[in-house]
Amino acid sequence: MSVAAFIVIGMMLTAYVLLDGYDLGVAALTPLVARTDHQRAASMSSIGPFWNGNEVWLIAAGGALFALFPAAYAVSFSGFYLPFTIVLWLLIFRGIAMEVRNHFPSRVWHDFWDFAFSGSSTLLILLLGIALGNLLRGLPLSPQGYFLGTFVYLLNPYAILVGLLAVAALAQHGAAFLALRISGPPGKRALALLGVLWWIVLVLYAIVTAATALERGFFAHVPTWTAVMPVISLGTLLWMRSASHAGRERAAFAASCGFLASLLAAAAGTMFPYLLPSFPASRGGLSIYDASPSATALVTALTATIVGLVVVVAYTAAIARRMAQKIVVGED
Amino acid sequence: MDVVLADRLQFAFTIMFHYLFPIGTMGIAPFIAFYMLRAVRGKDAEAAKAARFWTKIFAVNFAAGVVTGIPMEFQFGTNWALFSREAGSVIGQPLVMEGVYAFFLESVFLGVLLYGAERVSSALHAASAVLVWLGSWLSGFFIVAADAWMQHPVGYVLAPGGRIELQSISAVLLNPFAWWQYLHVLCGAIVAGGFIVAGVGAYYLLAGRDESIARRFVVAGTLTAFIFSALVIYPSGDRNSADVTADQPVKLAAMEGLFHSTNGAPLAIIGMPDTRAKQLIDPIFVPDFLSFLAYGNFRAGVKGLTAYAAELWPPVELTYYAYHVMVGLGTIFLAVTALCALLIRRGRLFTSRWLLWLLMLLMPLPYIANEAGWTVTEVGRQPWIVYGLMRTAQGPSPNVVAGEAIFTLIGFLGMYFLLGALFLYLTLRAIAGGPEETPA
Repeated sequence: MSVAAFIVIGMMLTAYVLLDGYDLGVAALTPLVARTDHQRAASMSSIGPFWNGNEVWLIAAGGALFALFPAAYAVSFSGFYLPFTIVLWLLIFRGIAMEVRNHFPSRVWHDFWDFAFSGSSTLLILLLGIALGNLLRGLPLSPQGYFLGTFVYLLNPYAILVGLLAVAALAQHGAAFLALRISGPPGKRALALLGVLWWIVLVLYAIVTAATALERGFFAHVPTWTAVMPVISLGTLLWMRSASHAGRERAAFAASCGFLASLLAAAAGTMFPYLLPSFPASRGGLSIYDASPSATALVTALTATIVGLVVVVAYTAAIARRMAQKIVVGED
Repeated sequence: MDVVLADRLQFAFTIMFHYLFPIGTMGIAPFIAFYMLRAVRGKDAEAAKAARFWTKIFAVNFAAGVVTGIPMEFQFGTNWALFSREAGSVIGQPLVMEGVYAFFLESVFLGVLLYGAERVSSALHAASAVLVWLGSWLSGFFIVAADAWMQHPVGYVLAPGGRIELQSISAVLLNPFAWWQYLHVLCGAIVAGGFIVAGVGAYYLLAGRDESIARRFVVAGTLTAFIFSALVIYPSGDRNSADVTADQPVKLAAMEGLFHSTNGAPLAIIGMPDTRAKQLIDPIFVPDFLSFLAYGNFRAGVKGLTAYAAELWPPVELTYYAYHVMVGLGTIFLAVTALCALLIRRGRLFTSRWLLWLLMLLMPLPYIANEAGWTVTEVGRQPWIVYGLMRTAQGPSPNVVAGEAIFTLIGFLGMYFLLGALFLYLTLRAIAGGPEETPA
């Protein structure tokens, strides 16, 4: 049952990365693909109807972690007090930028909020990537599972590397989304950027994979299915390359989704069965079995979450199909 | 500084600021759905404008509610790790349900409501207004259910080692304490929504613009506020008080400023509590009335604060004043809206400029009443974090010190000051633009 809970939370976080990932990526790329005020407004409006709903996945995953693994929720959020709070501030700032940008007809006002929006989004991706990197590497933990290090400790080279991969991969994801949803010069530039970002992602992915194997020991204590993930990751990357060259934007975006999902699955497999792996790895960590509540609570929360999410996915998909629209943008 | 106090200050500040926005969304959502349905079924072009106008205001509230709501959920983990660890098995349930059942609904269909006018059918567009309304009210229910469990824990067992484990989710969701509290919270938000709608209408009438639609706002707003100002007092407020009387008598004593157990206890209308001399300063009493309100009998005995050890008292002054502010304002709302209803019947409301002025100026007060009500509930719960089970002092994160909590509190103060200023700017701008303005 704890394993099922681990899978559900993993899937919710994956959904968060795939969905909020594209709007974070679009935000990060907006200054690069959109040159004029009008183009930047168009770039932002491609995610306007969706970003709020996408962010709910993070809130729901947080709620699910609270209900399914209260101990992990408690020790991780309090252990990373400052980084978590900074993530919250960035989320708030980003939301403000998104909402207020178009409400004041001034070039300076727009420039400021565009900068704030791109900056806070990029920083958010980097921080979330660094957090994931630290989870993969393992953390110095007390016997109760509380984090014993400092903020600066979290900024170790390996974690920063994962953070950079996160920025590159989500920028690529955002570029694929923009290419799909926006026409004219911004769409063309997004497609061109996709080609450049693809190489950066490939190189960083290779380095991170090698570094992970070094940090965790070569495939020690890793479920066998995890070993398949690099194959899927590389396969989806190649698929994206050919799809974007062929101008099949929908397939390129789907490939990007597949790539991100395979990365996260590999990460989950590397961590399993720990929610907070210890560093060094031989010390274990806070596992899903340590962090579970009673069976009643687990079954209740799992049932509620799964039933609810099936409904959510059904109506979100139906709505997204109706609301999807290619935005037409004129020349520079 | 004491870490418990630092954590409590941060929670109090962030929750009170956050709650301003759910008041708006829960209170305005039914008006949007109402105008939207009128627009679709009655081909009522003015109602369509009204729906679009209030959706714009709603959206600003919703966005501010989302960004200030995320820190609320995360704060259980960051600042209240021991509470989360001990009680997460129960308290996590309504919170995950809020996300999955209410929050998605509200945010996905708000996207449709805001951007879907040209992209989806008018039936789906109208349905999305109803679903946003449903989402905002459901969201409120799950949050109140979580709070009600902290007020009156049910459906749990104590595991060996003292951890609180869920036994029955239906008991938690059907907690009798939750239902009256929820209806009270909801009625309070609708009163606020009514005053907002009426107040904006009154502003347009005073400014001599958009008069036809403004009259509709004033009528719809005041009549709604009138009905729900009555419901907020009876039965929801009355039943909520009965629950407090039965389960949290020491909170009742603090609310009423009753220091000594009395048969035929008087109701203090005003007065300032003196916790040292254990009496009210300069009080005005209604004799025997507290006994009647609490037990339906003018001679019934009501226990005073001194019947309990002082360490079990909630902060008396704050609980007492918050309660009196809430009740006082609630009474004013009922009186003003009743007068409006009377003048609407006589067809004289729109010519009574002084009353339109009053309606416009009263707009902030339902917010204060709602916040004061929550202050009674939460401050009055002290010293417990889970009533009778776990002390607030046992809840904070063991690995977070006061200095860290104060640092983040200062950050939230700065961030929310910016957010508050922008929220006011956007809202006032939308009101100044008016219902005729085409959406940006």
